[in-house]
Amino acid sequence: MAYRNFIRPYFVWSGLFQSWDPFAPTPKIINSYVEAIVIYQDGNTRNWALPRMEQLSLTDRYFQERYRKYAENLKEDTNAAIWPDAARFIARHNSNGPSPVKMVLLVRYWSFIVPRPDGEYVPAPWDEHVFYSYTVQPEDLQ
Amino acid sequence: MRPGKLAEAWNTFFFAPQSPIPLSLFRIVYGGLVIATLLMLRPAWLDWYGPHAWVSLSTMHQVEPGTRLNLFMLIPQTTAWIEAFFWVCLGSALLLTIGFLTKLNTVIVFLCLTSIHQRNLFITHGGDTFLRIAGFFLIFAPAGAALSVDRLIRVRRGNEGPVVEARSPWAQRMIQFELALLYFAAFCSKAQGVPWLDGTALYYVYHLDELRRFPLPAWFLHPVILKLGTWLALALEFSLGVLIWIRKLRYYLLALGVLFHLFLEYSLNIPLFEWDVLSAYILFIDAADLRRAWHWLRGRAHAIAGERAVLSA
Repeated sequence: MAYRNFIRPYFVWSGLFQSWDPFAPTPKIINSYVEAIVIYQDGNTRNWALPRMEQLSLTDRYFQERYRKYAENLKEDTNAAIWPDAARFIARHNSNGPSPVKMVLLVRYWSFIVPRPDGEYVPAPWDEHVFYSYTVQPEDLQ
Repeated sequence: MRPGKLAEAWNTFFFAPQSPIPLSLFRIVYGGLVIATLLMLRPAWLDWYGPHAWVSLSTMHQVEPGTRLNLFMLIPQTTAWIEAFFWVCLGSALLLTIGFLTKLNTVIVFLCLTSIHQRNLFITHGGDTFLRIAGFFLIFAPAGAALSVDRLIRVRRGNEGPVVEARSPWAQRMIQFELALLYFAAFCSKAQGVPWLDGTALYYVYHLDELRRFPLPAWFLHPVILKLGTWLALALEFSLGVLIWIRKLRYYLLALGVLFHLFLEYSLNIPLFEWDVLSAYILFIDAADLRRAWHWLRGRAHAIAGERAVLSA
């Protein structure tokens, strides 16, 4: 462990850091996605979703796959530090109407993948949770 | 093995000169993959890396502190500068692909890739990581020794003869090791997970809506098949990480690896990852076999062209 702590800064600095654990040690056991609820000063609201791969064409999902990776990280509580930036980004992209954006709520949705003995796949019901709310400041929309 | 013999084998493995043609071919494919990666990101360069990106530069620094090789920390955070940065990356990757000013462009491409990844670590996948690490070792490799504009210039100036000289392969070996490490580390991570051991892992993977690409036949999703597939994937990752070094098994394993990655490319939507990994398979092919394959392909192309000419006459 000591040697790891010793060499880590050099690997991190040089870009040689790496981890090879695709779908490991445990693959994701939920389907999930992230949406935003945009609340305007005049009381109107709008649901805005990050691109969901399963709803895109084959070409679009190939080009926009980075959103899948991003959403996978965004929904994690361990990545709370990136939530304000995400809320600001969404506020800017939804501020072309007459009323300015007042608040952005980030919502995660998830549904467990449950193996059944007969092999049939029956999607489990979706759960949802507002995991972040951000009050938009005028300078955020600049 | 005696220590003397071991040292000799080590020196032969890393430093005995060998043909740089596999490495040069790898450089071409590698450059093409970097170009493809940058072009696929093109519509969202500013969304992911711009001054008002999904993750700001300051947030990224806060999340991943410490000194990092990241050119984004040096350039002004304006739209024009960020766009210019990406065009420079793209131009450099193109020059690397054709092998012009190869050494310089290996350095630029590595610096660009490292900076892009450091700028937003939340959207990188294993393929990006592999390109970055391979790019580092490519800096030290004779990547422009063959199949390059640099070589054409050297030959024209009389600095090199018609035969491509053998070169020390140590940097190529490091990229080969990186590929083997990728598989072996993935095997070790998976071997710690219950779903990989009890055979249910692929059930979850193939029921992730977001990863689905082309449709699979219903029989593939049968629990028994998925269980066999899970264990087969484990066995293959172990073999490609460890047994790949046994010369007699190498081509069989490479063939299985190609089938494995093509199947993943078909069934899962993880853009370019499979091609990034497969690119390094070239480094495991003997130069003589590459030459034979090239002559065969050329012969076939001439034969087909000849048949067409006869038909149209």
